[in-house]
Amino acid sequence: MSGALALPRPGLLGRLDPWPWLGAVAFAVMLVFVAWPLGELATQSFIGQESGRFGLDNYAEFFGSSYFRRALVNSLTVGALGTLIALCIGVPLALAYARFDFPGRGAIEVAILLSMHSPPFVGAYAWILMFGRSGWVAEFARGFGIELPPIYGTLGISVASAFGLYPLVFLVVRGGLARVNRSLEEVAYSLGRGRVGVTLTVTLPLVLPALLTAALLVFLGVISDFGTPAILGEGERFPVLATLAFSLYLSEIGAEPGMAATTCMILLAIAFALVLGVRFLSGRRSVASDAGGGGELRRLAGARGWAMTAGVAALVLTANMPTIVVVVSSFLEVRGVVFQPAFTLANYHNAIGAMGNALWNSLMLAGVALALIIVVGAGVGYYISRRSGLLPRALDLLIMVPFVVPGTVLGIGYATVFNEPPLLLTGTFTIIATVYFIRRLPYMTRSCASVVYQIDRGLEDASLSLGRPPLSGFRRIVLPLMQPGIVAGAAIAWVEVFSELSASIVLYTGPTRTLPIAAYQQAATGDIGMAAAYSTMLVGVAATGLFVFLLAARGQRDRGVGWL
Amino acid sequence: MRGEGPDHLAIERVVKRFGAFTALDGVTLSASRGEVLTLLGPSGCGKTTLLRVIAGFLDPESGSVSVGGRPLTGVPVNARNLGMVFQNYAVFPHLSVADNVAYGLRARAVGSAEIARRVASALERVRLSGLADRFPDALSGGQKQRVGLARAMVIEPELLLMDEPLSNLDAKLRIEMRQEIRLMQRELGITTVYVTHDQEEALAISDRIAVMEKGRILQVGSPREIYEQPAHAFVADFIGGCTWLDGAVAEGVLALAAGPRIACGGAPQAARLALRWEDLRLATEADPPEHCLSARVAMASYLGHRTRVRLVAEQGGAELHADLPSHDRLPAEGSVARFAFDPSRARVFGADGARLL
Repeated sequence: MSGALALPRPGLLGRLDPWPWLGAVAFAVMLVFVAWPLGELATQSFIGQESGRFGLDNYAEFFGSSYFRRALVNSLTVGALGTLIALCIGVPLALAYARFDFPGRGAIEVAILLSMHSPPFVGAYAWILMFGRSGWVAEFARGFGIELPPIYGTLGISVASAFGLYPLVFLVVRGGLARVNRSLEEVAYSLGRGRVGVTLTVTLPLVLPALLTAALLVFLGVISDFGTPAILGEGERFPVLATLAFSLYLSEIGAEPGMAATTCMILLAIAFALVLGVRFLSGRRSVASDAGGGGELRRLAGARGWAMTAGVAALVLTANMPTIVVVVSSFLEVRGVVFQPAFTLANYHNAIGAMGNALWNSLMLAGVALALIIVVGAGVGYYISRRSGLLPRALDLLIMVPFVVPGTVLGIGYATVFNEPPLLLTGTFTIIATVYFIRRLPYMTRSCASVVYQIDRGLEDASLSLGRPPLSGFRRIVLPLMQPGIVAGAAIAWVEVFSELSASIVLYTGPTRTLPIAAYQQAATGDIGMAAAYSTMLVGVAATGLFVFLLAARGQRDRGVGWL
Repeated sequence: MRGEGPDHLAIERVVKRFGAFTALDGVTLSASRGEVLTLLGPSGCGKTTLLRVIAGFLDPESGSVSVGGRPLTGVPVNARNLGMVFQNYAVFPHLSVADNVAYGLRARAVGSAEIARRVASALERVRLSGLADRFPDALSGGQKQRVGLARAMVIEPELLLMDEPLSNLDAKLRIEMRQEIRLMQRELGITTVYVTHDQEEALAISDRIAVMEKGRILQVGSPREIYEQPAHAFVADFIGGCTWLDGAVAEGVLALAAGPRIACGGAPQAARLALRWEDLRLATEADPPEHCLSARVAMASYLGHRTRVRLVAEQGGAELHADLPSHDRLPAEGSVARFAFDPSRARVFGADGARLL
């Protein structure tokens, strides 16, 4: 080797560690868009709606009113029942996938992931099409003189929610099972337990933390959802906290923002109590997997394999039925409120005619939000997983808050806070893009953080020692290795953002109406054919995007969602 | 190979604390150009901390580091121009072997033809020429470490820092690689700081060794000095096997509980005598009785050319080890025999660990 190698003198950027600065900026943004709206709601909830006094007047009124109490009980009931049903579907699927190989495994898995990403209220609407007052299954049964139980209310909301959320259980529990040390099960077999005995006494207790996490996510999903109870609860007849807060805030006959804030706070309190409770329980029952885990899949050959395939497929098909029904219905002729057995494109014709900018708005808003989520989420995900100290911990915590906060609550918070200068955002595209961004950012930070934890720190040290400034090393070494986490996070964030309803329903105005809002409005009060057409478009665009991400992720071993 | 002129690496009174724990307690150390200086010590002694302070990953609370006369205080890692080789290789998994090696060159103002030339020559040096387009997951551990080595050397660093580079390799490869590293380092004349906890590796690879314990440097010297003239009880114990015999110094004589007595100056105090395992032998008629002791053979392990025996002193019951040539007529297990040592081979340490004799 010859000739001296000059190391360029690093400029300011090469000398300064940029991460704490970026972290501080992110923290400031989170303070404005998470802490402020929620803090304002909390304050409002303590200012009496009638009296104007500071105190517990609103809470007294809430718990004094049988209607408000009913919303609370309804929320908790559908939450519990929905969680139970989702576990009943998701756990057997997870066991099948974690332990067995059978024909069609891969294809069915894609179907499960896709079913996760159909907007929940589309499923709710499908249940009405099937089991509603004039639903075709209900009518069919009536022909035999059988009156099916009503789909409106507790049962319908629980079932519809569970069918939309069971993939969460599947993913989380399968992940938990994959980490269980298989030799523990083998020991139990060797001690004379049968398959069922081992599953009940060893496997399930070991995945208890995963089960608790899955149950928590489903419960949060059910009580946070606005669209499903709004459609299947028929407005005020079957109130839950999310729909109650919405109607209190936006009621045309005398809005009650103070009571809306109080309802939001009660919903929020339930959500955070559950998160803390689950943390406490899984912390105490730490069955830390002492190394190992995974293990070979048991190959089921011949008839037993096909029986497993049939069972799994039937389960998944049932869970996907609502989406299928909506898609098929969208091509059926409508007379009055009943679909006819004749194919037509009339629904699409009407829907597109009445759509205005909804589709474009959705694409644009979701696109902007997703771009922000990817850039900010990857950076923050890296920062919080690599740095220690108060700022990264506080930032992590603050970013995770919107993961737990129901969309309606955040939407009401935004409408309350950002309606005057200097941040006059109500009615703008900005406010909707922002709420999309803030709500789904946690998916990306979690997904990225879980990947960064697995990247050897030595790689960054090596890059620095070879003369690359920190940001250059991040771009050339860390970012390429983070790619699986970014793709996984972006895939989920995309669908969630594109079909977002609960916050945007509070914040939209005529010009900023989105496709999910159009679909919801038609489903709730309008033309059933147009509702089916909008929903199909929604599912179609969301699934197309998801498919693109899945293609991008192909070949990447870890298809699981890291943020879980 | 201690060179002439000013020190190339100068470390002055470096203190590094982690909370209440003092990892480096005022370390002063230097290395001359072209030298291999090894930091040797048990885990937690501060050797890796010191290496990371030199590299710039850690800022010391006080003290300074300078390389080639240039103080490095406040200079970020990426401007220090130091090559580093890592225990777990830290080879970039998404870059080919050639791109790994070129990584540091691309941060410098080097033309692409020049990069290609330098990469090719570096790969040839570490005998990886045929693997330039491979990706790291297709390489063995030894090959990955060669990539790490080539990547660190190709930038012609002022200083090469090696953090236990061989610990993840198997025993045979370790010996092969340390010879290669030594040859390459000599050829290029790169001043090297080498961290290891493996005393044999340290003896084989170093020009000088700094033995560390609890954030301090106990002794700096050539491998021979460290092994034969340990300045501290810890150094004697850590490097090579030692048998320890308790005793007391009084009136110019060290009297051991096991019997022997040797001349030893110093104030009256408790003291310990250290003997290398190979320095205790079967006694003959010629040995003066004050340098002999009787011991029962508790166990004998045949190790080829040597047989290691575990002994229990008849007087005082101290446990001793001796490596005896296997061709000797060895006493049977359970029998009592006389053993002797040459007092010039004995090292005596005071209660505080300092060398008395």
